[in-house]
Amino acid sequence: MAWLISLRDLQWRRRRFAIGVVATALVFALGLVLSGVRASFDNEINRTVDSFQADAWFLKGGSLGPFTAPRPFPVSRVRDVRRLPGVTGADPVVILGATTTTPGKRNLQLVGVVPHGVGSPAGKQADDLARPGGAIADQRLDLGTGDRLDLNGANFRVSDVTHGMTYFAGIPRVTIALREAQRLGLNNQALATAIVARGRPARVPPGLTMLGNDEVAQDLARPINPAKDTISLIRFLLWGVAAGIIGAIVYLSVLERVGDFAVLKAIGVSGRDLLGGLLLQAVLLSLLSALLAVAFEKAIAPLSAMSVEVPTSAYLTLPLVAVLVGALASFLGLRRAVSVDPALAFAGAG
Amino acid sequence: MALRCKDLVVEYTRGGYVVRPIDGLDMDVSNGELALLLGASGCGKTTLLSVLAAILHPVQGEVWLDNREVTGLRGAALMNYRQQRVGIVFQAFNLIPSLTASENVQVPLRASGMRRRLARERADELLGRVSLGARRRHRPAELSGGEQQRVAIARALALDPPMLLADEPTAHLDYLQIEGVLELLRQIADEGRVVVIATHDERIVPLADKIVGLSPRPEAGGNVTEVGLAPGETLFEQGNESDVIYVVEAGEIELVRRRADGGEELLARHGPGEYFGELGPMFAIRRSATARATMPSRVSGLPLREFRSRFRGERTAELIAHAGGSSG
Repeated sequence: MAWLISLRDLQWRRRRFAIGVVATALVFALGLVLSGVRASFDNEINRTVDSFQADAWFLKGGSLGPFTAPRPFPVSRVRDVRRLPGVTGADPVVILGATTTTPGKRNLQLVGVVPHGVGSPAGKQADDLARPGGAIADQRLDLGTGDRLDLNGANFRVSDVTHGMTYFAGIPRVTIALREAQRLGLNNQALATAIVARGRPARVPPGLTMLGNDEVAQDLARPINPAKDTISLIRFLLWGVAAGIIGAIVYLSVLERVGDFAVLKAIGVSGRDLLGGLLLQAVLLSLLSALLAVAFEKAIAPLSAMSVEVPTSAYLTLPLVAVLVGALASFLGLRRAVSVDPALAFAGAG
Repeated sequence: MALRCKDLVVEYTRGGYVVRPIDGLDMDVSNGELALLLGASGCGKTTLLSVLAAILHPVQGEVWLDNREVTGLRGAALMNYRQQRVGIVFQAFNLIPSLTASENVQVPLRASGMRRRLARERADELLGRVSLGARRRHRPAELSGGEQQRVAIARALALDPPMLLADEPTAHLDYLQIEGVLELLRQIADEGRVVVIATHDERIVPLADKIVGLSPRPEAGGNVTEVGLAPGETLFEQGNESDVIYVVEAGEIELVRRRADGGEELLARHGPGEYFGELGPMFAIRRSATARATMPSRVSGLPLREFRSRFRGERTAELIAHAGGSSG
């Protein structure tokens, strides 16, 4: 019976519950978007590291990482690396920050690779890079194949477009040939900021530091870790806001139904049944909000300036979070309902 | 005897003070009898109904229904009593506004564990009995006061309880609606149930087999009595029925009111020539304070008529003002 009373009450106060569901759904949707943004940070790091198809990274001694602290050193050091036992291939790369004015002013990450070498894309993409002025740009630059690309004031032509090739929280990456990168950022000197190698040697040439892919991933993550922590905190707070909305609605509903609860108790409906009904109401409210939140997230995510890649696990855990939030949120209301004195059913004591 | 109340004393707290609306009540109602609890507002009618419904527990005395004591029930037995043994018709109908008439009647049936289909059939049968078969899908807001009252009666009868309690069943009805509801309540009693109705509506009196007056009705006339009191001796207690007005002849009487925390609050002290305890007999309400001697004292108890003649010069308002709200 409790479920019927709860459902009927939901129908009875449907406008208020609808407002509550929409508000809670928006909060859940924001939570999902934040989960997606946070997940995209990790995904772009993995994609960036994987794109070099390297096992070991050699940097100038003392450098913390190829992305956060690039320090140039002579390209000739690549011979020392290639000679190391266990190394099957190695090539220099240049990793630098750059700017563009096409289509608008913005920062980007420039990666210079030896076409067809280690760290380079394969096949036609590498062929295109080998031609003067060729550049592979990420879609976040809003350029298409054949478009002109301005890099630090020099003209390039977009030969191909990548998807999701960003790092440092969505800054798009442009890949060009190593010698073009040296011309743009290193005064045309034969320098590299890292050597990427296939195979993992047991020792490191003097004056160089060797990092594995995990350490490089950590290097990429370091600048955005505070942002990730902040997102986690905000996401947690959003669950609190959702709980607050549901809790307020349930509590208000209980306050308005104190007379009903008194009557139900007076005619022998158990407190357990009343609690079950209220709990059901809160959980239903949360689950409906969670469902609607998925639709909201799909609508909001494309509007975000940052990449939003909501993991499947976030969709799967959302209903569980919703149930938990609903149950916890209804606690105050449940406590109020339990404490209702059935004598209140006799209005106007005489 | 189906319903028996023995030496019932009921107290509750309100505004930080102890209120004793029922003090030593005895009442017997047989199966098939309709009893009226008659009295003014605040005299304890609804409180007594709450006790009979096992919602309030008396501080003293017993309630028995069909040879089973009600006052000691707790837990599952108490829930079972409220579900199965008593049907209640509340003053403001108290139907669940979001449920249809049929669903309102189904509430106690489903709460008792009855299957949904059976509960629906039983609810529709009861609504048919109170001539609301065609209105079973309507919500309370779509029903008139009389119709809501009949749905409330159908709900109270859902589990065929041996006792039906009705609180002011005519309070929210016009005379056309009253007729149908009273007829129904009489029928319910005639089927062998105990029916107890709390009301201040004396028009219902001809309907009743038994009348329990809960308002004190002090005699206006009678003789002046003299009472001697030792220090600390109590003249009357808070919650006692009011009978006479006292005038202090010698000594001193203090008026104290019991607080909810168990303590007492001193309201006034009266010396020779002063009177107290006039509001109870004047307005037929119970003593609102306890009167106790602080030293060897002597008081005269004046019936209302004698009091009025002795204090003829003072209008009622002045008599009350004299008490300063602490008349006892």
